[in-house]
Amino acid sequence: MTKKLISGNEAVAYGALAAGVKTVAGYPGTPSTEMIDSLLKMDIEGTHVEWSTNEKVAFEVAAGGALLGYRTMCAMKMTGVNVAYDSLISIAYSGCTGGLVVYVVDDPGVSAGMSEQDSRGFALLSDMPVLEPSNLQESYDMAKYAFELAEAIQGPVFLRSVTSISQSHGLVEIEERILPETDHPLFEHNMEKYTKAGAVICMNQHKALIERLDAAGKYIAESSLNSLCLKTSKGVGVISVGVGNSYIDEAFDILEENQIKTDDISVLKLHNTLPYPDDEINAVLKHCTRVLVAEELEPYLENRVYLNAYKLGVKVDILGKNDGTYSRIGYYDADNLVNGICKLLNTALPALPENTDTAPEKKCAARPITVCAGCPHRGTYISIQNAISKLKMKKSEVVVTGDIGCTILGTTPPFNALWTEVSMGASIPLAQGLVYGGTKNPVLATIGDSTFFHAGMAGLVNALQHNANLTVIIMDNGWTSMTGMQINPGTAQDFQLGSWKQLDLKKVVEGLGVEDFHVIDPYDLDTTARAIAESMQYQGVSVILARRECAIQSNRRKIKYSAIKLDLEKCVNCKQCINITGCPAIAFADNTISIDYAQCNGCGICTQVCKFDALVKEQ
Amino acid sequence: MSIKKYDIYIVGVGGQGVLTIADILTSVAFTREMPVNYYPTKGMAQRGGFVKVQLRFGRSNVGPDIPQNSADLVISMERSESLKAVKYLKKGGEFFLYDNCWEPTAVMLGKAPYPTLKEVWQEVTQAGGAVKCLSNTDLPLYQGKRIRDNIYILGGILQSTRLKEIISKDDVVKAVTEKWPKVAESNVFAIEKGMHSEIKTAL
Ligand SMILES: Cc1ncc(C[n+]2csc(CCOP(=O)(O)OP(=O)(O)O)c2C)c(N)n1
Ligand code: SF4
Ligand code: SF4
Repeated sequence: MTKKLISGNEAVAYGALAAGVKTVAGYPGTPSTEMIDSLLKMDIEGTHVEWSTNEKVAFEVAAGGALLGYRTMCAMKMTGVNVAYDSLISIAYSGCTGGLVVYVVDDPGVSAGMSEQDSRGFALLSDMPVLEPSNLQESYDMAKYAFELAEAIQGPVFLRSVTSISQSHGLVEIEERILPETDHPLFEHNMEKYTKAGAVICMNQHKALIERLDAAGKYIAESSLNSLCLKTSKGVGVISVGVGNSYIDEAFDILEENQIKTDDISVLKLHNTLPYPDDEINAVLKHCTRVLVAEELEPYLENRVYLNAYKLGVKVDILGKNDGTYSRIGYYDADNLVNGICKLLNTALPALPENTDTAPEKKCAARPITVCAGCPHRGTYISIQNAISKLKMKKSEVVVTGDIGCTILGTTPPFNALWTEVSMGASIPLAQGLVYGGTKNPVLATIGDSTFFHAGMAGLVNALQHNANLTVIIMDNGWTSMTGMQINPGTAQDFQLGSWKQLDLKKVVEGLGVEDFHVIDPYDLDTTARAIAESMQYQGVSVILARRECAIQSNRRKIKYSAIKLDLEKCVNCKQCINITGCPAIAFADNTISIDYAQCNGCGICTQVCKFDALVKEQ
Repeated sequence: MSIKKYDIYIVGVGGQGVLTIADILTSVAFTREMPVNYYPTKGMAQRGGFVKVQLRFGRSNVGPDIPQNSADLVISMERSESLKAVKYLKKGGEFFLYDNCWEPTAVMLGKAPYPTLKEVWQEVTQAGGAVKCLSNTDLPLYQGKRIRDNIYILGGILQSTRLKEIISKDDVVKAVTEKWPKVAESNVFAIEKGMHSEIKTAL
């Protein structure tokens, strides 16, 4: 045992290593990314770790190992489960002989973007157990435990965390890594289990799935995962799960400081919503007359508490989301528990902080983020605008769909170029639909390289097959950047790990048979705008591959593309360099333009915008 | 030294080194075997976005999020972003403001307002907090070079707030020296200068 200062995501990685994990696959996504990022930095021969093309692929890669009886894991952010689900339900039906763990991180409060979807809903849909650690140490312990549970029931298990735990750092006790097993026999040929050939097979698998969830209930009960502490009979009780557990002590402290006694409150701290811990829930229902259910996001547990109360025929007041005590929106802190418990006790906090005033915040200057200094995407957004002007159209008449990643920053000022943000890969089919909807002007779709490989290719194939009239701009910066610079299939060979191989996006697009295909450098505004304008006039699918490396990555290798000279004699303070490029390296203060050379990478975009030659490339 | 419960809410802008201050305090806690939960919210890959960190010392079982009206100390590294932290400060708590202005483009171009120091100060006072303000204009030089402002700020915090009751200057010196052995001298200099910087407590 050693104590290490690590994050919740790293704790899961160490837990998996201590369980002897054989394969770990995933697709990046805040808040779960560091689980795999940290493994890729370690020297762990014998364990295969990869960034897969998307979450469905990652799940399938992990599942393959579990079919052979090995311990495997896949990792994703909450929206990744949407992508993986098709295979997930199928493997859940079949089961597997090894321990297969799906690590997913939900994001109450949306600090990482997209949605507040509660992955426990997927566990319900697929009858899979879901383990919910409430702190860092438990993230480690339960990662290990998840493999044992999965092996015991012979089926996949969710390990579900939330942003605040996965991103927190603290002391965690960890053990030595266990080397993965190597000597399993070959895959058992079993059509009844591993295919879906016919109704009987499928319904038998469905039955087996339900039995596995029951078995999980027994296994969890035997391992005393949950803690139940019953106090005064006919009193009040609190049921919490996951991160909610970690706020109870603090809430009790706050209540005690305010002379509200907490010794009489029964507490059930749960670490799994599914399989429903009915015995423990019923123990609380039989013991208490008022019960508070504290769970972030959806009232899955709470609804079960209602059902169980009905089945038991007990009259218990249940406080939670259904009665409006709690909201389904946002994350929890100790205040949520304090307020809920006060309501439970029909009391009020004497000094209940009334200052939930948002007035100070309203005076805060808006701080829209924009792409980095030297970002290649900047050239693409400006050129889209220039191409539209070239064709004598108005920006408000040309729909440009956006996709996920840094590429979506085209929605922010000064570009305001993109109209939609839906999900990975949606930009191209959405544009196709807009064309069929009768949109008069050309429709453009923008998408990053990682997103293109993830879920964009199928959309492009569809547009090509149906000969849709649209322009696709693939913004190829060589990395999966938004999530912190992961390697994707298109990343240059020099940066691929071990035996991984680059797939050249240019050849991929050519291979699909795209006839109107332009490969350009987005740092060159004229060529880029010309290519976009031509594509917009072409009848059929046009693809523009805008290629230039992410500036953060080239900066790490100290690449400066040129030295930029600012000639204040020539500058007339028109500020167009700022208005058009929005480059954070250019500032205006005391009536003078200045350049922050620490940020500027010499991309030269501003020099193409300045009409007075005040900004020029030296050499 | 007894381990007290002590919550710190830190705000600033990505690229300012907000995480560095939190990292140092966390490693001090680590070496002293003091329970700590360090929860950064960094936003995306780019600089210039809102960044916050929640540091909770002294409790072994505590959730990551600090409730409103309860942080013992707020550290703000950017004037305007300070306003987002006001509601987390407890009555009687300390609000350390490094008065740095990182103006968004619209402000730079004169198209959007930006709060004055007085406005921020009043908001903190109204929330029952005590402002400790360090100016960003007289950052000292070490052998002709600008020192790291976040380390200097840490010196200012140790000088002026109750953080010193749980973390000493020696703790911080040790932590930064271990972290950056090559520039130890200039960092120790920065802490010293911060410890002796001028901290305003009234407007
Ligand atoms: C289903 C799903 N998986 C993962 C993510 C997280 N995510 C957001 S942006 C992004 C990377 C996009 O990379 P790329 O398309 O190359 O654009 P870049 O950021 O490099 O410009 C990822 C993985 C997500 N939002 N949805
Ligand atoms: S991280 Fe890379 S791709 Fe994203 S905005 Fe910055 S330079 Fe552009
Ligand atoms: S060359 Fe101009 S646009 Fe490019 S990074 Fe430097 S200042 Fe920004």
